[in-house]
Amino acid sequence: MDTYLAAAIAVLGVMPSALGEGLVCAHAIDGISRNPEGASKIRSTMILACALVETTAIYSLLISILCLFKIGG
Amino acid sequence: MFDHFWDIDLSGEVISSLIVMSIIIILSIIIGIMAHFQNPLKRPKGLLLVAEMGVEYFDNFARDIVGTKLPGIGAFVMAIASYLFLAFIFGLTGLPSPVTNMAVPLSLGLISFLGIHITAIRFKKWRYFKRYIEPIPVFLPVNLLSMWAPLLSLTLRLFGNAIAGWALMSIIYYGLDNLANLIFGSFLAYGWSSLFIAPIITPVLHAYFDLFSGLIQTVVFISLTTIFIGQEIPEDDENLSSTIEISRKGGQ
Repeated sequence: MDTYLAAAIAVLGVMPSALGEGLVCAHAIDGISRNPEGASKIRSTMILACALVETTAIYSLLISILCLFKIGG
Repeated sequence: MFDHFWDIDLSGEVISSLIVMSIIIILSIIIGIMAHFQNPLKRPKGLLLVAEMGVEYFDNFARDIVGTKLPGIGAFVMAIASYLFLAFIFGLTGLPSPVTNMAVPLSLGLISFLGIHITAIRFKKWRYFKRYIEPIPVFLPVNLLSMWAPLLSLTLRLFGNAIAGWALMSIIYYGLDNLANLIFGSFLAYGWSSLFIAPIITPVLHAYFDLFSGLIQTVVFISLTTIFIGQEIPEDDENLSSTIEISRKGGQ
């Protein structure tokens, strides 16, 4: 039971990461609407930034999976 | 002597990793032989064309970030990228993907960690050790700890992505199997019902979790590695030479 609770608390960490990803996308759309010629460059940079922001969410997910399967004690 | 040679207990991921490596080695040898016997005046075709485009792309990619001071970096980046992408999509064959074992991302992270520090030592010589006592010598333990941050972040990013995709796919397979058993289980023998729902839905999810995620993570990994390596190369000389060139042009 404790491990399930721990997993549930750990996976809460994806919340700010989702907010950050929303900010990244919003600013990318801002940039594209101001400067439509740079759309392809902005898009590739946005995907890279999204993947970087996702990293923290993936850490949370990893910890919660480790808790669920009781890996490492 | 070799009686018990094959009794080594390798995990499945390591065997997949060896298969991926042998695929890359065989492809490289074939492309190398093709490139050796190719007439340079003729237009390349087929596999050779693809290989040349890849080499050009990675060379340009590395040169944009690192500059011209480290000419071999394109080959390094291309080797890591091809291994990582093939390792990610190797999960599509049904065999275990190499990245889901912690050892493989850790080795890749170690490669790029060593690359960063060896480049720093090569370009900064003794000034390299100065970074551990900056800004004051009291910061030595903190700097020694923060040295490992890139390695940890690179490793855990890859491993977390791969293991999250694997866990989600396992859960989806399990759920769809149960659903198919509920619907078709009454008039089909056990095991046959699972053939109906999962094969229709899961290919899209495989395309996302293996192909798209693998591609993105490969791009992120090689971008971070080249950016970290490019940071260690001092830009002063390049600026100096360019200013000298400009002043020379102005003088003429």
